[in-house]
Amino acid sequence: MRMNNANTPRSMQEIEKSPSGWKIVIREIIKDKLAFVSLIFLILVILFVYGVALFLDQAEIVTVDLFAIHEPPSSEYWLGTDYGGRDIFGQLIIGTRNSLSVGILVTLLSGIIGITVGVISGYFGGTVDNIFMRIVDFFMILPFLMIVIVFVAIVPKYGILSFSLIMTAFLWMGIARLIRSKALQEQELDYVHASKTLGSSNFQIVFSQVLPNLSSLIIVTMTLNLAANIGLESGLSFLGFGFPESTPSLGTLVSYARNPQTLEHRWWIWLPASLLILVLMLSINNVGQALKRATDARQRRG
Amino acid sequence: MWKFTVRRIILMIPQVIFLSLLIFIMAKVMPGDALTGLIDPNIDPAAIEARREAMGLNNPWYIQYMDWIKGVIQFDFGQSFRYKMAVSELISERLVNTFWLSVVTLFFTYLLAIPLGITSGRFNDTWGDRLITGYTYVGFAAPLFIFALVMLWLFGFKLGWFPTGGSVTPGLVPGTFEYILSKLNHLLLPSLSMALITTVSTVQYLRSEIIDTKQKEFVLTARAKGAPESRVYNRHILRNSLLPIAAFFGFEITGLIGGAIFIENIFGYPGMGQLFLTSITMRDFSVVTALALLFGIASILGALLSDIILSLVDPRIRIK
Amino acid sequence: MGKSSLKKLLFTLMLILLLALAACSGGGEEEQVDEGETEDDGLYSIEDFSKMKTNEGEAIEGGSFTYGLVSDTAFEGTLNSNFNSGGPDARVIGWFDEALLTWDENFVYTQDGAATYEVSEDGKTFTFTIRNGVNWHDGEPVTAEDWLFAHEVIGHPDYDGIRYGSDFTNIEGMEAYHAGEVDTISGIEVIDEKTLEITYIKATPSLVTGSIWTYPLAKHIFGEMEVAEMSSSDAVRRHPIGFGAFKVESIVPGESVVYSKNEDYWRGEPNLDEVVLKVINPNVVVQSLQTGEVDTVDAFPVNQFPDNADMSNVEFLGMVDRSYNYIGFKLGTWEDEEVVPDPEAKMADVNLRKAMWHAVDNETVGERFYHGLRWNGTTLIPPSHPEFHDETNPGITYNPERAKELLEEAGFVDVTGDGMREDKDGNELVINFASMSGDDIAEPLTQYYIQAWKQVGLNVQLLDGRLQEFNTFYDRVEEDDPGIDIYQAAWQAGIDVDPTDLYGRNAMFNYTRYASEENDRLLATGVSEEAFDVAKRQEIYKEWQQLMVDEVPLFPTLYRAAVVPVNNRVLNYSIGDGTEMYLHEIAVTSESPLVAE
Repeated sequence: MRMNNANTPRSMQEIEKSPSGWKIVIREIIKDKLAFVSLIFLILVILFVYGVALFLDQAEIVTVDLFAIHEPPSSEYWLGTDYGGRDIFGQLIIGTRNSLSVGILVTLLSGIIGITVGVISGYFGGTVDNIFMRIVDFFMILPFLMIVIVFVAIVPKYGILSFSLIMTAFLWMGIARLIRSKALQEQELDYVHASKTLGSSNFQIVFSQVLPNLSSLIIVTMTLNLAANIGLESGLSFLGFGFPESTPSLGTLVSYARNPQTLEHRWWIWLPASLLILVLMLSINNVGQALKRATDARQRRG
Repeated sequence: MWKFTVRRIILMIPQVIFLSLLIFIMAKVMPGDALTGLIDPNIDPAAIEARREAMGLNNPWYIQYMDWIKGVIQFDFGQSFRYKMAVSELISERLVNTFWLSVVTLFFTYLLAIPLGITSGRFNDTWGDRLITGYTYVGFAAPLFIFALVMLWLFGFKLGWFPTGGSVTPGLVPGTFEYILSKLNHLLLPSLSMALITTVSTVQYLRSEIIDTKQKEFVLTARAKGAPESRVYNRHILRNSLLPIAAFFGFEITGLIGGAIFIENIFGYPGMGQLFLTSITMRDFSVVTALALLFGIASILGALLSDIILSLVDPRIRIK
Repeated sequence: MGKSSLKKLLFTLMLILLLALAACSGGGEEEQVDEGETEDDGLYSIEDFSKMKTNEGEAIEGGSFTYGLVSDTAFEGTLNSNFNSGGPDARVIGWFDEALLTWDENFVYTQDGAATYEVSEDGKTFTFTIRNGVNWHDGEPVTAEDWLFAHEVIGHPDYDGIRYGSDFTNIEGMEAYHAGEVDTISGIEVIDEKTLEITYIKATPSLVTGSIWTYPLAKHIFGEMEVAEMSSSDAVRRHPIGFGAFKVESIVPGESVVYSKNEDYWRGEPNLDEVVLKVINPNVVVQSLQTGEVDTVDAFPVNQFPDNADMSNVEFLGMVDRSYNYIGFKLGTWEDEEVVPDPEAKMADVNLRKAMWHAVDNETVGERFYHGLRWNGTTLIPPSHPEFHDETNPGITYNPERAKELLEEAGFVDVTGDGMREDKDGNELVINFASMSGDDIAEPLTQYYIQAWKQVGLNVQLLDGRLQEFNTFYDRVEEDDPGIDIYQAAWQAGIDVDPTDLYGRNAMFNYTRYASEENDRLLATGVSEEAFDVAKRQEIYKEWQQLMVDEVPLFPTLYRAAVVPVNNRVLNYSIGDGTEMYLHEIAVTSESPLVAE
């Protein structure tokens, strides 16, 4: 299998693969036990978090209780309470949901922008490409963290959507570059020329032919981006430039550990969130790597 | 080669100009200014207003921008409102700290990456490789701030092996051996924490690079000719695998900038990242703008460096 | 392949386990601390603390003392009282420089300092005499000329600091000098090398409680400099000079300062050889104290106190802080340097404001969040001013039932039946609450108040749904942002009790924009000539405190205590004002600080 693919010319391989791209992906994941377990775990976490969050009242969870400050885990508070007497378990669920939502939203938004720019740029080439790439270059050199921090300081009121938009504004370039370089290759291939001669419109060619051929690449990149984006969100919240405390997030929970008293004496506040971030990122990365192997024959394990 | 470099440098100029404009406008849009924080009943508000006028904070933004850019060209970033000293002087104090933090971090990054990557690539699919790959998996997933926090807690607090803040023990005379030693001691934990995380991508890259090269024809030929294995590795495989790593050096710098903000914040290390965060909260615009500009330029230079190294390694790039 | 992924999984699991184990061991310790705490209900009272360190053991000759400056930012490094603006810098300066006049615990100038003073009959002219032997660190004497010079620099049009204000404009001829019309300040006269005479325009009791500028500026060093360049000069930033008990040896900018003793100090040679000041992050305060890395700190984070009250190698000193938290109601606007009350303001009904005070239980807040180290505020003159704080005035006490009654009476009734009251005209009533981030407890505290008001049926919303960052907060409060109806903030009372700067009609810092004739009258008499009689002044301020309770333009929420841990080896150490213990007396009983067991 491996030798076969390695010897197949790239173009052939992709044309041949495109209709069964998903099949290969699924097959590869099932074959890789770790990735499979990770995927199952991820699906469970997502279902659990979004499911349970439906039954939780965020307002109630962030309700301050003067008489339950810093409670250790008990049957009433499964993971104890924080310095406002707020239930950590509830915050963890809602926080995971919020962090995941931002991660997913940012990944999708930046994916859409990046793919659009990348495909247009790569497919049309020439001046369009030049202009787009200069813009991309400019965004690439911006010191991401700093700019986002400044933005967060400016925007007076933000929720999941506006925070995601701020992050997206500075995160779409990587995928744009990648897609562009692939689209550049695709656009020179015979099938595009053939379609063109047959009179298909550019729009048709891009959507029905170029994009599907890039789909597996897009899936891989977006999966890996998802992990990175969740990490970024929690990092920003950790620094205090993410969500306010009344909107729990995994990063906020971890940031409580910056108080050494909490770090030393009250593990229930920060440890579960830290572990959850770690495990989430590991799982997403595992799935992403498996996907990558599925699309990249050289790396595929025998 | 020269043509390429010059072209890249010329391309940088509009980038830097846009960058400065963007940064300046953003800094101006931020609510409050450097004097807002001086809320003290013992200070006359009229005095504050007078200062504001005198510092030109009441001028339209484009005039302030022109004033600023005129200075920047002469390496004068203006005065820090809070620290009452030239921004360039303030930054150069912190720059030294961040510079050494980066150097030591890079040192550890490669010190770890090269042996780990080589071992992992050369003996792939042995238990050693699996262990290393396992580490890179976890390292790749673990956010820097969580890892650094745990390191601080474990080695700084629990075990007390390292100092938990500052850049040097006070009272030591700069230049003495103790002073340098103390500086280094304060650097170890932060830089090691950062290196252990940043190194993983290099390890991963080196590993797959070596595994790839192993299958290449010239290696197979060398081996077929009967060259001893160590020679094959040292002469052929390593040389080919390390070059692309060298090319990533420039991008490594960009990564360090982001990392420094977290690391300096967690370890209380007085560098530029920490200065940036405090300047944001204190609305010390001249410092914020200068730092963002510097970091931006650093990443531009990093990218340039990588491109140049890459073009040396792989002449095909130059055509682009 | 299966094997390798298994390994990875195992490795991950091990790492997680390791983390969990390590964390649990931390948790175990906590329980022990808790046990100790529950015995005495976990509450502390500031009355159990002393301002003076108990002395145990024999002092050794010399020794080095380490002072921790708790801050998460570097100190700014403007190391001269004539130019600095930040609190951290003031602490750095405190070790090598001092004011010419000292004050007692009521903040009244005494005759014990480096200078003494006499007041003329009409209370306007002060004659100061600098003691012989008060010398700058370079050996030059501190002269009346230096004192005058400080006034000349601060009043100079090019001066870039923030000191020039009403204290200076009250000096005769200062405004003309400041405007550049004349070259000298007519109200200040150098009588001889050591004697200075200052004539003020208005005599008030406030003059002797902090309204005199008492920091001379060394003319032999700064004399040749342009005023605009002084604050950034080496004499301020790198080699600062003073006449205090210690002199600056070396500075690591923003991080640490090493001082050596000033053998020529006018009160006598200091006991210590060396003092080291270093900035420590609030997060490592406990650690630094336990390991003896520092002997003491300028301020200990109160919320870390309960976990560390038993620290074995330190003694905790404590005092009432001059700061207090408060909740203010926006009642008007600031126009043309004057407060303009708006009778139509959302919070204009005094019963609504009273009800909101009744609704919050600050007693419990102080106990639960601060373990008793912050406590229910009653009046606007905090107990840090024992002479004037009216202890008999209970303020408005926690009584949610009374709050509901008041609201009903005032016409705030729930018309729509949603559990939230509407305003008098039956329209929806949403009160926007601005609160700032920064304090450790800020977020839950804010949420608590919102909940408490909800309990009595008031719909209070957090402005923008999040805490405002310090600068944004004051920007918007100061500009009377119409989006803000009430806000939570803190003040530090000046050492002079006169509250005019905070609550007067012409005070920009009067953020509630409340003004009334009665208020104007009381504030004016508080600094009038009749107020020179302390009993009379107490009477006036008692009345004023009651007025503020009746009118509730704002209400104090929490008074604060400051606790300061000091290593057991330290002798003759004190905090606060008027303890008559001075830095040169500090001594230590061993070479290095004691370490916690």
